[in-house]
Amino acid sequence: MGDLTVKPDLVTRKTPWKKLILPGIILLVLLLAPSFTSEYVIYVAVLAVIYAILAGSYDLTTGYAGPLTFCHGAFWGIGAYASALLTLKAGLPFWLAFPISGILVFIFAFIIGYPALKLKGHYFAVTTFFFGYFVYLVILNSAKLTGGPMGLRGIQAPEGFLGLNFASLTGSYYLILFFAVVFLGFLYFLVHSGFGRMLIAIRENEDLAEATGINTALLKVLAFSLGAGIAGLTGSLFAHFFRLLHPTTFAWMTSEMIVIMALVGGLGTLIGPIIGAFIVTFILEIMRFAPEFRFIIWSLALIIILLVEPAGLMGIVRKLQRRKR
Amino acid sequence: MLLQQIINGIIIGSSYALIALGLNLIWSITDIADFAQGGIYVLAAYVAYYIVTAAKLPFILAWIGAMVIGGGLAYLIERFLYRRWTGKSRIQLLCAIALFFLMANLAILWFTPKAKIFPSYISGALVISGFTVSYQRIAILLVSAALFVVVFLFIMKTKIGKAIRAASQDRLVAEVVGININTVNSTVFIIGGMLSATAAVLISPLYAVFPSMGDLPLLKSLVVVILGGFGSVAGVLVGGLSLGLAESLGSVYISSAYQHGFAFFVLILVLMFFPKGLFGRT
Repeated sequence: MGDLTVKPDLVTRKTPWKKLILPGIILLVLLLAPSFTSEYVIYVAVLAVIYAILAGSYDLTTGYAGPLTFCHGAFWGIGAYASALLTLKAGLPFWLAFPISGILVFIFAFIIGYPALKLKGHYFAVTTFFFGYFVYLVILNSAKLTGGPMGLRGIQAPEGFLGLNFASLTGSYYLILFFAVVFLGFLYFLVHSGFGRMLIAIRENEDLAEATGINTALLKVLAFSLGAGIAGLTGSLFAHFFRLLHPTTFAWMTSEMIVIMALVGGLGTLIGPIIGAFIVTFILEIMRFAPEFRFIIWSLALIIILLVEPAGLMGIVRKLQRRKR
Repeated sequence: MLLQQIINGIIIGSSYALIALGLNLIWSITDIADFAQGGIYVLAAYVAYYIVTAAKLPFILAWIGAMVIGGGLAYLIERFLYRRWTGKSRIQLLCAIALFFLMANLAILWFTPKAKIFPSYISGALVISGFTVSYQRIAILLVSAALFVVVFLFIMKTKIGKAIRAASQDRLVAEVVGININTVNSTVFIIGGMLSATAAVLISPLYAVFPSMGDLPLLKSLVVVILGGFGSVAGVLVGGLSLGLAESLGSVYISSAYQHGFAFFVLILVLMFFPKGLFGRT
């Protein structure tokens, strides 16, 4: 199973702080961005940060636990619509709808994942692919609730408190940045904990992991649902930042996009998918002039990555590091 | 009304079963859920469309042309892509999905997203005591049934068919006793591509030809494979027909907006209660 993922580094490195240089630089640039760039760049940066959380949380399931899934965009969509509807129709404040939408997506993922993840091979991948399509269908057809193809408008910005105002662009930008650090920090903690090491054990040799007493089915479902839950929370942030939702944002191509981002960077490294998300978002913006070529180029890019280096950029980096030693 | 829906269900179900038959052979032998068949389905439909409308050739030639393209594409994909990654099933699956998107989006680029009307090849309809079934639909049923028999006989009676059955039971042992696994792989992929192409050509006159036409048949056929269980021709047939029936009855008696979602519920129910499929080997 270690084919797609960057091999875990067994040599303990003495300088873990070096790992923080790159994320630190990215964070610093993002923090200072509002003071030197235009509004347009901020919108792109928000998208990049949101994709970074999505790709990072995707890595928990596919990079660390192993099974390929194709519905991460759907979880993002459920979170976005759940949060928007809870505030619009049920009148809940954002700060209540936000956690509820995350928990809701977690439960959803648990229900889908539990029966399907017990099976091996491509069963689960097909199930998630279909689930992604199904969610899109539901959003599109429940026109009374979700606005269907007309989209959902009038979503409110998160309520401010303690003098903080999240209705302004900069305010909501820093809010998203804050939660990005929280979520990605949580994921970092998770994959370096015993839980993460057990997931790696499952990925590398499921039968052996099972034999050592790890409840592989439960752990895989947990990894899947936790990743999904974070995607759901991200959806809520997305909904209340852009304040406009449209079903096509969450169609299956989005899930595909997240997979590509994670693969560009390198699965099983956490930092890889985050870098991948930034690279892909940047290229997406450059390619706005030729939308009809977008998906063709992405599909080709995916095949080329698989042919050249399925472990992505981080796979190349690790190989170079090993050669140096 | 009820009878009409049952007939429609059986006919649409037989087209799912046709694609699923190829997918099942491929999946049970190479361990690949071959999403690329969805792209082959689309391209084959366009090839047939242009043979009939632009080249003005008879329908039978369009069908043959589509099968050549379908079988050829499937062969090339297996030979030059999937085969590199034997045993690395996650890479193969990702590649299959990338190819599916690539082909569907190439169809948008080359043929525009606009739906094209495929001229029907047989006109008229059968009228029996109040309900009508067009000959077009009857042809789908008959051709599917005939192809099922052909594939079944091919697998049971020919030498390569025996090799396919052996490989689907145990790939490694089959290789040990001298079966050329590469030939087996190529054969099942060519069969799969030809069956997908045939399904596309049969269905096109009913629903027109457009770039995303492969999405739903692909998903539903994958569900039929899981529903029927691996390596079971009977399972594919029963799975395909029951999914077709569930959809056509469900769209009338439950909700037509969710017609394409029923397959998902069927999938989840099967995974919960029959994880090996209805006819799968244990």
